[in-house]
Amino acid sequence: MERIAHVDKLRLKFPGDTSLIFKDLSSTIYKGEKVLLLGPSGCGKSTLLQVLSGLIPHSIEVPMKAEELVSPPSFGYVFQDPDSQFCMPFVDEEIAFVLENINVPKQQMIDRIHHHLQQVGLHLPNIHTSIQTLSGGMKQRLAIASVLALKPDVLFLDEPTAMLDPKGTKEIWNVLKEVGQEKTVIIVEHKIDHVLEFIDRIILFNEAGQIIADGPKEIILSTYQEEMREQGIWFPGVWEEYLDTTPLLRLRTPFEKKEKILDVQNFKGFRQKEEKIRVDQLQAYSGEWIVIKGENGAGKSTLLHAFMQFIKTTGHCELLGTAIKKVKKQSDFMTFVFQNPEFQFVTNSVYEEIAYTLKVDKKDSREIEKKVEELLEWFRLGDHRDKHPYQLSMGQKRRLSVAASIVNEQKLILLDEPTFGQDSKNTFALLEWIEELRLKGTTIIMITHDEQITNNFATRIWTIEAGKVISDETQSISINPELVSV
Amino acid sequence: MQLDFSSKETWLHRINPSLKLFVLIMLCIVVLLVHNLLFMVNLTIIVLILFLCFTGQPLKRILLLFIPFFVVFLSTSSSMILFGQGNTTWFKWGLIHITEESFFRGLLVGFRALLFAVLGLTFALTTRPVYLFYSLMQQVKLKPKYAYSFMAALRLIPIMLEEFQTIQNAMKVRGVVRQTGIRSVFFKMKAYSIPMLSGSIRRAHRIAIAMEAKRFSDTRDRTYYYEIGFSKHDLVFILYFVILLLGGYYGAVKGI
Repeated sequence: MERIAHVDKLRLKFPGDTSLIFKDLSSTIYKGEKVLLLGPSGCGKSTLLQVLSGLIPHSIEVPMKAEELVSPPSFGYVFQDPDSQFCMPFVDEEIAFVLENINVPKQQMIDRIHHHLQQVGLHLPNIHTSIQTLSGGMKQRLAIASVLALKPDVLFLDEPTAMLDPKGTKEIWNVLKEVGQEKTVIIVEHKIDHVLEFIDRIILFNEAGQIIADGPKEIILSTYQEEMREQGIWFPGVWEEYLDTTPLLRLRTPFEKKEKILDVQNFKGFRQKEEKIRVDQLQAYSGEWIVIKGENGAGKSTLLHAFMQFIKTTGHCELLGTAIKKVKKQSDFMTFVFQNPEFQFVTNSVYEEIAYTLKVDKKDSREIEKKVEELLEWFRLGDHRDKHPYQLSMGQKRRLSVAASIVNEQKLILLDEPTFGQDSKNTFALLEWIEELRLKGTTIIMITHDEQITNNFATRIWTIEAGKVISDETQSISINPELVSV
Repeated sequence: MQLDFSSKETWLHRINPSLKLFVLIMLCIVVLLVHNLLFMVNLTIIVLILFLCFTGQPLKRILLLFIPFFVVFLSTSSSMILFGQGNTTWFKWGLIHITEESFFRGLLVGFRALLFAVLGLTFALTTRPVYLFYSLMQQVKLKPKYAYSFMAALRLIPIMLEEFQTIQNAMKVRGVVRQTGIRSVFFKMKAYSIPMLSGSIRRAHRIAIAMEAKRFSDTRDRTYYYEIGFSKHDLVFILYFVILLLGGYYGAVKGI
């Protein structure tokens, strides 16, 4: 078989780090293979992908050494963030940029652009469409189309669906399966449901950046389940396993004392004078876990923004019996956890971050200390208290953002896809924390695309379609007979 | 959030962007050197005609954009008029001292400021940055490296505006708004700038890698999606200025 990419005895470290990411790592990819690199976050899979493609060391300068390094002459690379892989403002110009790079004559460009857009199923009425108006899924299709314009033999995919909802994820993988059939494909991904049928080989990493297994997918999947669970990889069946081994807290103690927290009637939210969300009437009570469902762009985030008064609203909206616009210090009663935790951080250390809101309110310093210590321990952040929030890992950042938001013990917590991009271990832990808050009487309103969360944690479901809340169903708690008898 | 300044296309849009840039810069230099008030007034009229009638923008938007620059005109000229030096006194009251010389110099400076603004606006409103950089690469032989990095940077602006809004909301939730005192000003500045800077640096780095992954290299021999050349509009544009400037100068000298 023909070698397509190869490293031998790779040693690599990031500038500033004291230890190596890879120590004498060797790996070979052969022509036509579909390979999945799997491992916990921070183990260096993406870095290895960049080495195999030759982006390291050609484009990214990183201290590294290898006995031998072979990278493919013609490759395409799809990155995870749809917003930071384009350099032109319009769809046609972006693909044209690639065609210009490989010296395609101007006369052929229009045809080629149409052809590649067709290939990825991106049907636009006008190819001169602004990239900003596309949805995340469409942007990733465009990214694939522009990569296909290079006519590559090898495709490198670095979590191409990390930022997409389940529908977008499925669509992108369908496209990739089709265009990748004849090519060598190397993938980094941790949501592996859609990828599994496509690939034939898995390389499994541990936390130290060592390859612990490499072989046909069937063997790896059946032999290394324990390792994958430890690493928080979303392998098929991880949810079932979790549900089997962890009796849901909710089943043990349903919340009884009900108090009306939020009362909304004839409520409308506006962005730039345009009505974007409409609610006829909705109520939320203490101890409820409400999940907001709906397609991308239906107005889920807009609804939460309207509750938080980030945007202009009209109509009736009462928080604990007071009109929301008249509530002073709204942040004492309700809080919001953003999708991207980084935007929420305002201080230089984990400890300060949690203490911040309390300090602004000039609470007693001993009280602050007690509260912060409690939260540090609860969210397992005690060891990192002096770190800058940006130095934390993805999972830790998420935990910190939740901890810092709930420090005032607000009665209403709004969350915008909090489990997004998290590994399975972090997701389950986060869900359990939220459940504990709910059992103390907190109302949770949460946007999620995850069916499993909706089915297993929500007590109520609001569905949004085209800017309108179209249904409000209470989810009956299916009581497990074994637990009732206890 | 979107910044949309799209408009009808006019003949000003179809002028070669490099040529337009060159002519407008030359005009700016001319404006700096003119000391004849009448000629300056004529110049302003010539440029204003283009700005008001041929940018293709709705009149309401044009007037809206014009307001700040009109204020600049009023403030620069009035401060010169009221407090300038001169021999022939027209009016004096306390600090205010209007003389004939200061009056005319004030108007001259005011018109100069106004002209710079209108020239810049006319260019910005009738030129798509992408065409400008393609034209600079083709006519002025600008290195692709610089042209494409500018274009990529322009794409980041709306993304940054969106980020700014998210941070603003996050600050609200965290209660930053309630922090008071002088120290809070610095605190807020830091709270905004650090996440925005770190975000932009990371994004710029990623885009750079993505561009190289798409085989971008700094060679000048590449094909172009937009081939930008010259047309009869360019001739009209140059003739417009040559004829009217000569006319304006002649008129100014004759004292019309």
